[in-house]
Amino acid sequence: MTRATGARPAGKVAVKVIGKALFWLLIAVMFVYLMFPFYWALVSALKTQPELIRTPATLWPAEPVLTNFKAVLGNDRFVRAMLVSTLVATCVTLLSLAAGSFAGYALGKMRFRGRSPSLYLILAMTMFPQIAVLAGLYAVIRLLALPAVPSMILSYLLFTLPFTVWVLTSFFKGLPDSLLQAAQVDGATLFQAFRHVLLPLTAPALVTTGLLAFIQAWNEYLFALTFTVIDPPARTVPVAIALFTGEIARQEPFGEIMAAAVVVTIPLVVLVLVFQQRIVAGLTAGAVKG
Amino acid sequence: MTAESQAGGRRTRRRDGREGGTSSLLRAERRTAYGLLLPTFIILAVIAAYPFGRVVYSSLTNAKFASSQPTSFVGLDNYRTLLSFTIRELPPRLDEAGQVVRLDGRVQYESAVSVLPRSPQRYRQVFQFGLLGKRYVLGAISADFIRAVWDTVVFTVSAVALETVLGMVIALALASNFRGRGVMRAAMLVPWAVITVVSARIWEWMLQPTRAGLFNALGSYLGISDGRTDFFGNPALQLPSMIMMDVWKTTPFMALLLLAGLSTIPSEYSEAAKVDGAGVVRRFFGITLPLLTPTLAVALIFRTLDSLRVFDIFQVVLGNQRYSMASFAQDMLVSRRDMGLSSAASVTIFALIFVFAILYVRSMKVDTQ
Amino acid sequence: MRKILIVVLAAAALAAAQAQTVVTVAAGAVGQELELTRAAAARYMALHPDVTVNVLETPDLTDNRQALYLQMFEAQSSDVDVFQIDVIWPGDMAEHFVDLYDYGAREVADQHFPAIIENNTVDGHLVGIPWFTDAGLLYYRTDLLAKYGFADPPATWSELTSMATTIQDGERAAGNPDFWGFVFQGNSYEGLTCDALEWVSSFGGGSIVSPAGVITINNPKAAAAIETAASWVGTIAPNGVTSFDEESARNMFQAGNAAFMRNWPYAYSLGNASDSVIAGKFDVSPLPAGPDGSPAATLGGWQLAVSKYSKNPAVAADVALFLASYDEQKVRAVEGSYNPTIKALYQDKDVLAAVPFFGSLYDVFINAVARPSTATAPNYAAVSRAFYTGVHSVMTGQATAAEAVAEIEADIEDVTGFPTGQP
Repeated sequence: MTRATGARPAGKVAVKVIGKALFWLLIAVMFVYLMFPFYWALVSALKTQPELIRTPATLWPAEPVLTNFKAVLGNDRFVRAMLVSTLVATCVTLLSLAAGSFAGYALGKMRFRGRSPSLYLILAMTMFPQIAVLAGLYAVIRLLALPAVPSMILSYLLFTLPFTVWVLTSFFKGLPDSLLQAAQVDGATLFQAFRHVLLPLTAPALVTTGLLAFIQAWNEYLFALTFTVIDPPARTVPVAIALFTGEIARQEPFGEIMAAAVVVTIPLVVLVLVFQQRIVAGLTAGAVKG
Repeated sequence: MTAESQAGGRRTRRRDGREGGTSSLLRAERRTAYGLLLPTFIILAVIAAYPFGRVVYSSLTNAKFASSQPTSFVGLDNYRTLLSFTIRELPPRLDEAGQVVRLDGRVQYESAVSVLPRSPQRYRQVFQFGLLGKRYVLGAISADFIRAVWDTVVFTVSAVALETVLGMVIALALASNFRGRGVMRAAMLVPWAVITVVSARIWEWMLQPTRAGLFNALGSYLGISDGRTDFFGNPALQLPSMIMMDVWKTTPFMALLLLAGLSTIPSEYSEAAKVDGAGVVRRFFGITLPLLTPTLAVALIFRTLDSLRVFDIFQVVLGNQRYSMASFAQDMLVSRRDMGLSSAASVTIFALIFVFAILYVRSMKVDTQ
Repeated sequence: MRKILIVVLAAAALAAAQAQTVVTVAAGAVGQELELTRAAAARYMALHPDVTVNVLETPDLTDNRQALYLQMFEAQSSDVDVFQIDVIWPGDMAEHFVDLYDYGAREVADQHFPAIIENNTVDGHLVGIPWFTDAGLLYYRTDLLAKYGFADPPATWSELTSMATTIQDGERAAGNPDFWGFVFQGNSYEGLTCDALEWVSSFGGGSIVSPAGVITINNPKAAAAIETAASWVGTIAPNGVTSFDEESARNMFQAGNAAFMRNWPYAYSLGNASDSVIAGKFDVSPLPAGPDGSPAATLGGWQLAVSKYSKNPAVAADVALFLASYDEQKVRAVEGSYNPTIKALYQDKDVLAAVPFFGSLYDVFINAVARPSTATAPNYAAVSRAFYTGVHSVMTGQATAAEAVAEIEADIEDVTGFPTGQP
């Protein structure tokens, strides 16, 4: 494509067509790569038990059945778990973004002693494997006598907050100082500068970080399992799925687990996309153009 | 505003600020900064300080998990147990006549057990290797852990490298405007949104060693395998399978962060370079990549951190056949109840992550003021 | 005014707390199992109106459940009073449970299988009351045995090998390339310890560590047993069997792709489900014997234990003993085919009418071999790991059986410090 600049018009067109075809091929390959395991989950959920274990595996169910989906959606506890998960993940995301954008702004845009150690200290908080901190965290939660939902929200900040701080620090740092100073010269307060200049500019970063944090919180299993042991109504989706079992001990209802995976993933993705567009639009609305 | 004027402007203002700023202004700025950091530090102090300190402390003791046994301070013994290793030369096996035993022309060596120390603690073989015509064995007291460290590092380096390349390709493709971009954005989210524990199960199901699994079924349809490939039982295929699973799951994380980074790069930069006649490749390496470096560094740090702590997929799929560092720590804690050793393993993971983080920050120069 | 209200509320709460003792039982999450436990709890509450019994579901993956329990013991939590524990945990977790002999278990203990009671007794304390049991069984395809002219299931492993070979060759020739003779649990995990203990024990090779605490695994019979099992991999069992667990084996057998399977009793009702392709075409028998041994089945199953940190250990123990009583075990046997731990129930005609194969398998259950979990406590997990890792290395061709048993012996010596000897 680089050479195209000097070529004759006809050649230029041909190169453009080939370029376009290659681009679409790339998109197609990417799509298949990203989707095939999910496709397999969907297909497995639609199969009957005998077809699920048949050899060779069929690429599309011979007689698709909805039994697995009915079992999942008919399970009150599962539907409830989706609500709890949404609540927990939303709170975690908002808290991380609030605290994280303050800290990120300070670390990315201000000069003070202890900047670098602060960054490393914040990162250090998230560097132990979950299993190592679980016992200590459980003790803290019991000491604070917190119910399950706040316990999960608080403990998820352990991994979402350092992540949010680091990402936002890097994005704030990348913003030109000139914009902020221009706004301040115009007589805007620090908050106004933040709201009308910085926020719109970092909106994509905020939304992306929030999204990644949301899904991380949504997917967490170990803490949720431990903190909801004696509080079944507070169970989140991963715990609910782990508690899916067949009618018989040791039996694993694989079809139902796959149906649950599909049922959980699709609304999550759709919701996230809708919100993402809304939020980006909302945040960039009041922007002062650089 | 062109790239040059903006960059120039920034530089002068910075200098102005530093020279012209009075100390009271600086002090005010410092106060504001500490105030802004306060919520984060309060949250972390509440939830992280105690668990953190407890892990470090118990790594220096012989604490048993869920046990009333008295605990005593043992210094660095746990680390010694975990990290001690030795390299011994393996002598060739000799027959009664004192001749070197050969099998199919290859020299046979004595067994590793015969050369590795037995007391005070027993060293087990981690692996053997040949160097300059001699054969050596690497032995360790905690052979499982040394192997786990090696496996986890190999896993991390390969998975993160692949994710970065794939994530970059996807981010660049999605940054351009085309019809169906919305669908692709949704598709990109799917792997990341699938619950981690479930995604391990999906892959486990697809990689079954019989033709009931997708890979073996496809392999036999296409005639490239006998439909009996044992992805999780065959040691040569275990790590590649794990890497494949992790790359699929976490490429979106990389792609999303890079996409956000790309969207903050003013398009003027690239336009200007285009006018100057720079090609796609030069524009990428000359402009996009340098401006993306801070984002890339953060993405790499967090991906590396997560990979070095990888737990779910090793635990779900490989069980006890092979450990990652974190699944070793889990196993030590839950089945062996050895909290001291498990904590020491966690601190080792911590140290390794720190080394990686500093390497990234230094080599990508993201921390310079 | 407000003060009065608070006082009244506090008094009311106190009164309610005194009236209602709450006992929380952590049990399995499985659909039917959970329903049965809930129903039993309801029956207990009907008899004892002053007690509320909560049934909590815990994840069915044994590893998850164990980690969860330990987390609660570490915090000395009184949230759960009665724990459902695996047959290999009593030795390990004994210090967190009360001695049920102090709460009236003495009278009922001898109704249960002695092997399980012995397994659950640590230093003379009964830490768990047996609830339901499990043992390894041989599943075989009755239609295929008939098709290839075999009258009875194999009595020895060598018979199994030759029958499996014949059937496998025949079925492959008949057009099923995915057919295998024998499937079992070959992954490197606790399940392999169960399977391999059956091989070793049925060859007369002992039970890894004797109840008296002697490491017996390094003997020629044990090595021969493991050698035999390794010879199945890739011949009558798929190569992938070295990464199989219970469900992988069942999936293959239930898809009609295997002639024999070693599994627990749970696979029986699933295989006979209405949509199963092998429904009515298979049966169970005791596992085969080695050259000069007798058949052996590994003991599985679950017990109920009462937490030492419980606020009401006496009531909790009463609940546990009620759940494990003759009548309650009978309900579970009849309605859910759970194998009772009470001997008399295997002669109960209601039970035998509901689950006919219980009668013929009484011997299997009563002679089941316990894993050396109590003798090696609190190091059983490490002992078992040494064992299954060693066996797995033979199955994958990385070591010979003789090397492996020597290695296992040395590993267990390192962990336990026990003397070595012959079985």
